[in-house]
This record gives sequence, C-alpha cells and structure tokens, in this order.
Amino acid sequence: MIGANIEKKALKLGYMPLSDCLPLLVAQKQGFFAEQGLDIELQQEVSWSNIRDKVIVGHLDGAHMLAPMVLASTIGLGGLRKPLVTAFSLGLNGNAFTVSNSLHKQLRKLNTTGFKHASTLKQLIEQRKADNLTPFVFATVYPYSCHNLQLRDWLASADIDPDKDIELVILPPSQMVDHLKLQNIDGFFAGAPWNSVAILQGIGHCLVTGTDIWKNAPEKVFAVTQEWAEKNPNTHHALIRALHQACQWLEESSADAIPLLEEHLSLSSPLIDQACLTPAITGEYIVVKNKEKVKAPGILIFNRIMANFPWLSHAQWICSQMHRWGWIPENISQSDLIKQCYRPDIYRAALSDIKLPDDDYQENIISIPPNHQFIALYK
Amino acid sequence: MTPARVMLVDDTPTRSAILEQALLDQGLIVVCRLESAQGLIKNVEIHQPDIILMDLESPDRDTLESMTVLNEHNPKPVIMFSDEDDNQIISKAVQAGVSAYIIDGLDPHKVKPIMDVAIARFREYQALKKELKQTRNQLADRKVIDKAKGVLMKTKNLDEEEAYHAMRKMAMDQSKSIAEISQNILSVMELLTP
Repeated sequence: MIGANIEKKALKLGYMPLSDCLPLLVAQKQGFFAEQGLDIELQQEVSWSNIRDKVIVGHLDGAHMLAPMVLASTIGLGGLRKPLVTAFSLGLNGNAFTVSNSLHKQLRKLNTTGFKHASTLKQLIEQRKADNLTPFVFATVYPYSCHNLQLRDWLASADIDPDKDIELVILPPSQMVDHLKLQNIDGFFAGAPWNSVAILQGIGHCLVTGTDIWKNAPEKVFAVTQEWAEKNPNTHHALIRALHQACQWLEESSADAIPLLEEHLSLSSPLIDQACLTPAITGEYIVVKNKEKVKAPGILIFNRIMANFPWLSHAQWICSQMHRWGWIPENISQSDLIKQCYRPDIYRAALSDIKLPDDDYQENIISIPPNHQFIALYK
Repeated sequence: MTPARVMLVDDTPTRSAILEQALLDQGLIVVCRLESAQGLIKNVEIHQPDIILMDLESPDRDTLESMTVLNEHNPKPVIMFSDEDDNQIISKAVQAGVSAYIIDGLDPHKVKPIMDVAIARFREYQALKKELKQTRNQLADRKVIDKAKGVLMKTKNLDEEEAYHAMRKMAMDQSKSIAEISQNILSVMELLTP
C-alpha cells in the first residue's frame, strides 16, 4: 500500500523563489506528493544560507539546493558543517549572464559578431586597466554555486582572473535587477527568471547563457542531511518518486505551470510577472528587449536526457571546479566526498521501475565549447 | 578583558534597538547597527566587529556569507560552532530567527553569552509580535461580530442578547468560531442585498 512504510508523513520542504523550484511546486499542486502518502508543507526561503542552516538543524526536512552547496556543507566550507546528500537532480541549466546596456555598448564597439567567448571582455578589461579605471563589478548568487563556478570558468577561459581582474560580489537574485539599474554592478550571472526580468525591463543584455559555457550542467538538487536520509529511507524514496513525476509532467506541459510559478514567485518580488517567467520555461529565449526570440530549448531542462539522475560525473565536475580555485582542502579525498554526497543508489532504489542508466558516471556529461580552454589551477 | 565588538544587521529597527540595549547592559560594544546589507562589507572593514548578528530572514545573508570566501584580506566571518552544545545553540538561534557570524580570533567563551542575549531578545520580539497580531485579530473579530449581530437584530427583530445567543448556537452546531459565523452572516447578507 502506498505510504505504508513511510517513516515520516508530514514534511517541511524549503525552496528559493526561482524558476527551477517548479518540480516542488508542481508535485504539491498536482497531488504527486499526496499520491505517495506524503503531507508536505512548502516553505519559501530568502537566502541559500537559510536553506542550508534550516536543513542542517532539522527545521526543514529537505530543500531545493545549489548542487555545489551539498559538497561544500559536507566539508564545512563557508558555514555549518554537516554531511548532506542528494539523490535527485531537479534539472539542468537555467543560468545566464546579463550585462548593463552601457557595458554591452562598449563591447559592441570592439566586436559585433558575438560574445560567446570572453575575449572581447578581456580586451575591455585591459583597456580599463591602462586607463586606470576601476574594475567591472559582476554579481552572482552564492559562492558555492554553479553560477559562480560557470562565470569564473568562462572568465578564466579568456585569461581573465576572476579574483584580480574584476570584482565579484554576491547578491540575492531578487536584488540583481535593481543593482544593475542603479549601476552598482556591471553584470550578473543568475538563474531564471532574473535575466529575463532585466532584459524585458530594457536595462540589460544577455551576453551569454549558461548553456553556452557548460551545456547540460547540473544546477539545483533536492538535498537532505545524510542523517535524515538514513533515518527515513522510505520517505526519501516517496519524495523522489513524487518529484520525478513532477519533472516528467513539466517536460510535457511546462507552459501550464507558468501561472503556478507566478503565484509563488510574485510573493518574493513585485517585478515578477508571466512575461518574464515564460522565456526560460518555454525555451524561446529573449536576449535583448524588442528583438526576435531565440530558440533555446535546453535553457532549462526538467526531465529529459536523464536530467534527474544524480550523476557522479556531475559531482566530480563540480569538485574539480572547486578544487581548481583552491577551495577544497588538500586533506579531503574528492572521490570519497563525491560518493558521500551524490547517491545514485537511492535514486535507483526509489525509481526501480523506470529506465535507468547502466553506469553512475557518464563521460563528457557536460559539453564545453571547442574554443574554451580549461585553465587548471588558476591560482 | 576587552569587551567584544558587535555589529547588528536587522531591518526591524525596534528589534535591533532592544538587542543593542541588552548587549550594552552586558558591557559589550555595539559598533554599528545596519538596517540593510547596503555597504555591509565596507562597514565590516571599517568597524572591525568581532561578531555580526543578523536577522535570519534577511535576504542579505548570502552577501555576508560570501565574505568567508571572496575576501582574502579582510576579516572573515564564519559560523564557528563544532560540538554538540553549539549545535543546540544554532538550532535555538534558527528558531528565534537570528544568525551569527564570528570573526576569526574571537574567544569562543565570549560567543555563548552574546548568542544567549540575542536569542532571548529575538524570541521576546517574536512573542511581542504574536501578541500584537492576536490583539489586532481580536479587535477585527469583534468588529465583525458586532456588525453581524446588528444585521441579525434588524432582520430577525431580535434584541442584542437573543442575536448573540443565536450566533453562539450556530457556532457550536457547526463547530466554528463566532467570528467565522459572523463573517458567513455578513457574506450571505451581501448576496441577498441588491
């Protein structure tokens, strides 16, 4: 009987008001949690730090979380230390880099063909140095986030040192647009819908999307503490089944979820409306206001191409990027950390009735552009 | 022993004023009180606090937390708890809605009393707010009840006591509160009156 073996029925799950929290909202709204015998309360949070702390102290049973945060918290980087695990990826991609109109104009003067590669930006940065101007300020959402790692990687691929050649700051996603407008920052790297908000308001240009840097990149995961996972294995399975069903539903009918997303996200910011939520969800992306939509079907993937599988290769990729910047202490075994935090075994047990990959690793799971060099150990 | 230097970041000025006074009473120094994270990192550099207390529900927490990674030369605030005892403090702090960042080098013995004060004041404020909300709700309820009573008196030709009794009976029969019953009466009346 469904729900018969569940250790804990009433659960509190946290999420940040971003487009990729949709699997949680849909699982609740469509009754997928209830079908699994779960009684879920969803709690909107204001910061990633809050999400982590509340999961760690047990005020939340689980949450929508940045994939690198699972690894970082397990070894105590940045805040509280407690082993976290994920057995479910909430989707792939979703990020983009939006710059101010003035920075875009300066870039256009040097290059009119495109900015997928950061070399034009590099040129501009060198000019600014020569002219003794202050460095550009770029914002991202959290130190241990794929946003930060992607932006740093993109900059480094054109020989821009993210710690020296620019100023990198952390801001909550909901404040990015205002800071860009006030010229406190020259650009931001954030997830949906914040790039679309800036673009549709006519205050920014999308320079490059996350998929141009890392195609099919991990992004948010569903995370719980290792302790919780050990105590509540059946509940965990039920959650994963409900979330998987929600992701499948989203793959078919994501546009139908826009009103639901608006209802929840507009609680956090008056800037949210259906127009800014639509581009990432439908894959018809807008890079500049009043310009033609660009077909970008992979901009936010909820379920296809095994997007929900917690690939060890994802953890490995994140770890190698964090290691590259000297964030992972030398005494930490990366291969142990990866296996501790990413739990495909739990995913397999929960979803034994669907088609599963043969291996927990997949080679070249993330594709990077051909002209993109991986400059190892930049520091 | 030099007293610890505390910085407060809270967008609720009443609460942070209460906390400031409580900390001063303990002989601590409150170096700075901010209402938002605007200029947060600069203020940390200028005031060099030993500990930063911040409203847990402030979206600016991630900005403060970034100092642990992005700023190599500046004071590094960290959440510096390791043993079981401290876990309890953290849990209490999260419950009360306060987060703390400790700058490397502050004597751990000094941390607990500061946290205790902060947790107590944040809780006190929570209780106050709850009480205020209850009082407000009670006032609003009373207004609705009075209005519904008036409607019943007028339409059913009842005196005040009879109208109230009728409402109370309805509430008991339907196991609802008198306020809910009153709201229902008013809604129905609204439907019926052209």
